[in-house]
Amino acid sequence: MAYVATRGGEKAIEQAERLFRQDLGTIDAARVETIRRTMPYLIDRVMGEASLYDEELAALALAQTGGELSEAVLVLRAWRTTQPRIAVARPVQQAELLTQRRISAAFKDIPGGQILGPTLDYSHRVLATDVLEGTPFAPPAVDMADHAAPQRQPPLADWQRQQGLVAPANASDVAAEDIPDLTREPLLFPASRAHRLQSLARAETGGVLALGYAAMRGYGNAHPTVNELRLAQAEVVVRHPRGTEFSAGRVRVSQAEVTSSMKGGYLELGYAATFGWNEVKVIAAATLDLNSAAAPVGSAMHEEFYLYHTESVEASGFCIHFKLPHYVTFQSVLDAMRDAKAKAAAATPAAPQMEPAE
Amino acid sequence: MFNEASSGGSDHAAILNILARARPERLKAFAETLLDGADGGINVIANRTGLVMVPMRDTVENVDFHLGEVLVSEAHIADGAGHVGYGMITGRDLERAMAMAVIDLCLAAGGHDRAIADFLADEKHHLQAEDELRMRQVEATRVEMETF
Repeated sequence: MAYVATRGGEKAIEQAERLFRQDLGTIDAARVETIRRTMPYLIDRVMGEASLYDEELAALALAQTGGELSEAVLVLRAWRTTQPRIAVARPVQQAELLTQRRISAAFKDIPGGQILGPTLDYSHRVLATDVLEGTPFAPPAVDMADHAAPQRQPPLADWQRQQGLVAPANASDVAAEDIPDLTREPLLFPASRAHRLQSLARAETGGVLALGYAAMRGYGNAHPTVNELRLAQAEVVVRHPRGTEFSAGRVRVSQAEVTSSMKGGYLELGYAATFGWNEVKVIAAATLDLNSAAAPVGSAMHEEFYLYHTESVEASGFCIHFKLPHYVTFQSVLDAMRDAKAKAAAATPAAPQMEPAE
Repeated sequence: MFNEASSGGSDHAAILNILARARPERLKAFAETLLDGADGGINVIANRTGLVMVPMRDTVENVDFHLGEVLVSEAHIADGAGHVGYGMITGRDLERAMAMAVIDLCLAAGGHDRAIADFLADEKHHLQAEDELRMRQVEATRVEMETF
């Protein structure tokens, strides 16, 4: 077994890191705070993929990686392992969400009504180039309603069950401490629903979108319609030593249900949720969930395919490891290729040499 | 050692909900005033950052799954008589968690006094006003669909 040693590697590696960090400049609390305050949707995406909700740490990860998302998620996940798990919160239920955006593309008259919330869905996407000419973009204020929207909205699926449109669901009877946890046990197939939904919650947004889009365009069995989409805040409900349950604070969450067609007399639903407000991710992920049951093994809609290939740290790590030295293994490929060429040349009879006069 | 026999009930929950979201600087300043008047020592059982795993319930099959972990700061304290004070807030701010625990301990040891009641009322009003403002803005985005 041969190996290749690198001369001067330690020095070069140190200088390479210095060069990377020099290009980013000094990182201070003000820079981190600016990122946190001005990039909420980017922060949400990083927190969701890292499975760690803390806006300040996510902003720091973005600052020190220069916005390289794979690296930012990696350092956040690594930092997460340094912290003890103090508690498991009470499971968040949809009816308790502090809802700021809630729409349905399947039913126009949903109980509680449709609320667009903060969105650019119906707006022209125009770059505000005046800002670069020195004219700040100051958004106009919202013309507030004279009364507040209800903070909580009833689950659409509950109403659909009452109408006999959606299959009844079993009562959840798993203690919070016994919920399967991908961060402490391997992902095995066929995956439990808890593992599938946890894996989708922390999946890489671009990967989920690519595979979900493939399903939507026709490579899946089910074309999705958004049954219900929510952007909301969830209370993190923990227990005081005296037993009192209380909220330690709120976190932003997204949820999507998508539906396609009838199965067994009921509308079939797919579901996904994630930390942060990231509706593209949850719609695409719910579409993958919806398509899973009928997906052939090996297709992009099969859970083994999409769960393995949207795990951001493993995927990016595997991809970038190919730039590390492979000289010895690649040399064996070259040797085999040269050997094959030599054998082929030896097996081929030499063409008769023609003399110019012939 | 601790007065952990029974839940503090809905009043206790309401107070803890307010303290966990109270304005940080006001919370810390108010806890300082309580410490100034505190008799005897306070035993710090824990004051640390850590994670709380947040499960969510799937609306399709009612399956609970883990959404991810939230960074929290926790403070757990007790006085000489065994009264417990506890604070947990989302984010990385040990002082804020400790301030919450100090106020909770004062309530456990001595019940409500006027200063604490006023502080809680102020913060409750502030939080309600914030939520009211936001939800009035959200209400402005309500749409009615009509089929033609």
